[in-house]
Amino acid sequence: MVRLNGEQVVLNGAYQGWTLDEDFAAAQDRSSEGDSRAMFRMFRKILPAGIFLLGPVSALLFVCLLPLISLLMVLTLLTKVALASESTESEEAVICMGCHSGQDAVKTFGNKETVSLKIDKSHFKGSVHSFLSCTGCHSSVSLDKHPSAQYTSRRDLAARISLSCKGCHSDEQLMAKPLHRQAITRSNAPPCSDCHGSHAIRKASGWKEASNTSQYCLTCHKKDLSTSVNGETLSLTIDEAALRHSVHGGQECSQCHEEYSVKSHPLNKFKSKRELSISLSGICRQCHAAKYAQHQGSIHTTLLQRGNTKAPVCTDCHGAHAVGPKALGVTLSGAPCRKCHESTFEAYKSSVHGKAKMNGKTSAPICSSCHPAHEVKPALASRSPRTTCIGCHKEVAALHREWLPNADMHLEAIACTACHVPDAERTVYLRVTDNKSGVSVLKSALKEFLGPGYEKLTSARPDGLEAQQLWDVYQQLGESRSQAGLTGTLGLQDCNASHRLASKKWAVRQCDNCHDANSKFFKTVAMAVISPDGHEEHYLVNRSVLGSVFTLLPIHQFYALGGTRIRLLDILGIAMVFGGVSLPVMHILLRLLSIPIREARRMNRLRKGGRR
Amino acid sequence: MKKIYLHPLPVRIWHWINALSFLILIFTGLQIRYRDIMQVTSFRTAVDIHNVFGFVLLFNFFIWLVYYLVSGKIKVYIPDFSFKVFVGGCIRQARYYGYGIFIGEENPHHCTPENKFNPMQQVAYLNIMAVFIPLQLVTGILMWDMKKYAYWIGLAGGIRIVDSVHVLLFLFFTSFLFVHIYLATLGHTTFAHIKAMVTGFEEEPEHGHSH
Repeated sequence: MVRLNGEQVVLNGAYQGWTLDEDFAAAQDRSSEGDSRAMFRMFRKILPAGIFLLGPVSALLFVCLLPLISLLMVLTLLTKVALASESTESEEAVICMGCHSGQDAVKTFGNKETVSLKIDKSHFKGSVHSFLSCTGCHSSVSLDKHPSAQYTSRRDLAARISLSCKGCHSDEQLMAKPLHRQAITRSNAPPCSDCHGSHAIRKASGWKEASNTSQYCLTCHKKDLSTSVNGETLSLTIDEAALRHSVHGGQECSQCHEEYSVKSHPLNKFKSKRELSISLSGICRQCHAAKYAQHQGSIHTTLLQRGNTKAPVCTDCHGAHAVGPKALGVTLSGAPCRKCHESTFEAYKSSVHGKAKMNGKTSAPICSSCHPAHEVKPALASRSPRTTCIGCHKEVAALHREWLPNADMHLEAIACTACHVPDAERTVYLRVTDNKSGVSVLKSALKEFLGPGYEKLTSARPDGLEAQQLWDVYQQLGESRSQAGLTGTLGLQDCNASHRLASKKWAVRQCDNCHDANSKFFKTVAMAVISPDGHEEHYLVNRSVLGSVFTLLPIHQFYALGGTRIRLLDILGIAMVFGGVSLPVMHILLRLLSIPIREARRMNRLRKGGRR
Repeated sequence: MKKIYLHPLPVRIWHWINALSFLILIFTGLQIRYRDIMQVTSFRTAVDIHNVFGFVLLFNFFIWLVYYLVSGKIKVYIPDFSFKVFVGGCIRQARYYGYGIFIGEENPHHCTPENKFNPMQQVAYLNIMAVFIPLQLVTGILMWDMKKYAYWIGLAGGIRIVDSVHVLLFLFFTSFLFVHIYLATLGHTTFAHIKAMVTGFEEEPEHGHSH
């Protein structure tokens, strides 16, 4: 009986065997020579009678017991074979296992961590180290002494025992594989047992074949691993549970990490964490080709191609290993767009949509409801109100028709936000659009249409573009057979403000807000051109163009009665009304002045009449 | 004094409905276009009234058209086919307004139901009734439902052109109104023509009486 970690452990088995041997020796001492002679004589007398009487009985018994004897023999042989296989286990291991495979004793470390001292005998027997004695690794323990080693933590125990590995495995062997060399030579190198296991250690070739790629990779990567990339710390730890619950839970690691497999683990060659993310996102294309193609046409990809590594790639929104069934931004707080578009997100939070979302209305729109998640483009809402707002508010045209004259025309020429964000500044945007589709013409196409005229259009002027220049643009577009023209839309000056959509009770409903020459809604005018990255470039236009006779045709579709009236007609009107009033007034004056003439002629006639 | 039944009841009803509509349309038109200068009604009220009287004018126009076509009186609007007679008549009438009237000459034109307008009136009213008012009504209807008539607005060159035409005609009608009213006072008495448009009977002095 020994005391281990404060508990009494009873030893039994092998040490009790000696008692049987002693009984046998004593029995031998009690026999004598005289007795044996008397017994021989008696044996000769009863032998014939014995043979006669017991012979058939014995034969019968032998025949009946034959199968039983055979069975016992087979069992005995099997036991021998089994014992022979156990023979690889060292005698010392057998002794240690006497305690460590039985009772479930527990060791407590300095940091209060605990470890079970129970060793699964079968695990050890199956390990490549089964031929070793326990003290081969646990060098501080022997059959003679069993000191109670003091370790500060489990990690400390693993690290100190790892030192024993080097007793057999030479540096040359350990450094042979580059990844292994990298893993064991860094400052925070994990102890050997982190990857290889402790008592159940097996031949690498054996368990590589037995497990799938993911299990193989996770052997190390579910542990606390990290590496340094140019000073950045890159965690290599994979949350196994999250991975299993992700939509990719059934995939093998090597399906995404193509160059990695059970047999291959090249060294990291990326210069930064970001470069790694961007590079890996291309792999998503293999299965998600359609979404990838959409993303390729987005402003985010364009930014990326222009060298802006902050532009989001697949993993920025979907996560790397914990890929959810849809975008992770379904919840308000988790919106991935927020990472870059904080101010927009704040505006959204104060909007009727953001408030509805916060109040638990699941159908309330999030970023991707208006800006499609993959083919995200800027300023979509102000260019095409019908496809964004009306996508959800299908009844919007009918509702506006109830109170707003020419409702459809208003909805076409005015961005929803221009009325539904009541406190924002407005701008009239002039865009070059395709006459048939209404889609904005890209900057590159516009340059082609306008030729050298494009530079005139976009060159900065303190007062903005004049009406005459818009007329030139109109003419050049016509001459270039571009089938494109200028389209005016009332939108918001600051695109961020368009996310502050108010409740409809606050929306602008008074006609006089726009249909007045002093309207503050028409104070700024801008030419909007779509740049290659999808952003809109704005060029100041002189606000007087809205009332210029030169824009009668160029901005033929944008007009607010009273608000953007043609000034020349006002001058003409004054002249015409002045003419209309002055003609009778002059005539009356002349009639008054000519009274004496008429009077004289009347008198003459009377005189002539009298003479006659 | 002889009395000529110059304006039958349908014509008089049409005229005064037209007059009222014109006044209201001019007023509301001013309110729609010049809200920065006058604020008698809201823009919305002005538009609503303008739309209502626009349609009144439209139906009234058809009353006029049907009446004049069916009765055959449309002839009074048609100038003499003889260019010489027509131009001569115009010169004579212009001479009267520009000279004769001041020296006490007699109006060369004498109204009869069959020859109601002098040549200058004929050319003016024919243009007004056949071109200007229809154009004003058409441009007004186009702007009344711009989405519905977007195709026609497009054909016309866009909403700015359509409204400019509407405004130009509005300015013309407004200025013409002053001339029209003034000319209406040039009967044998100041209110003779106006009274005739109420009673239907134009009083005209016996021939030579005014001499």
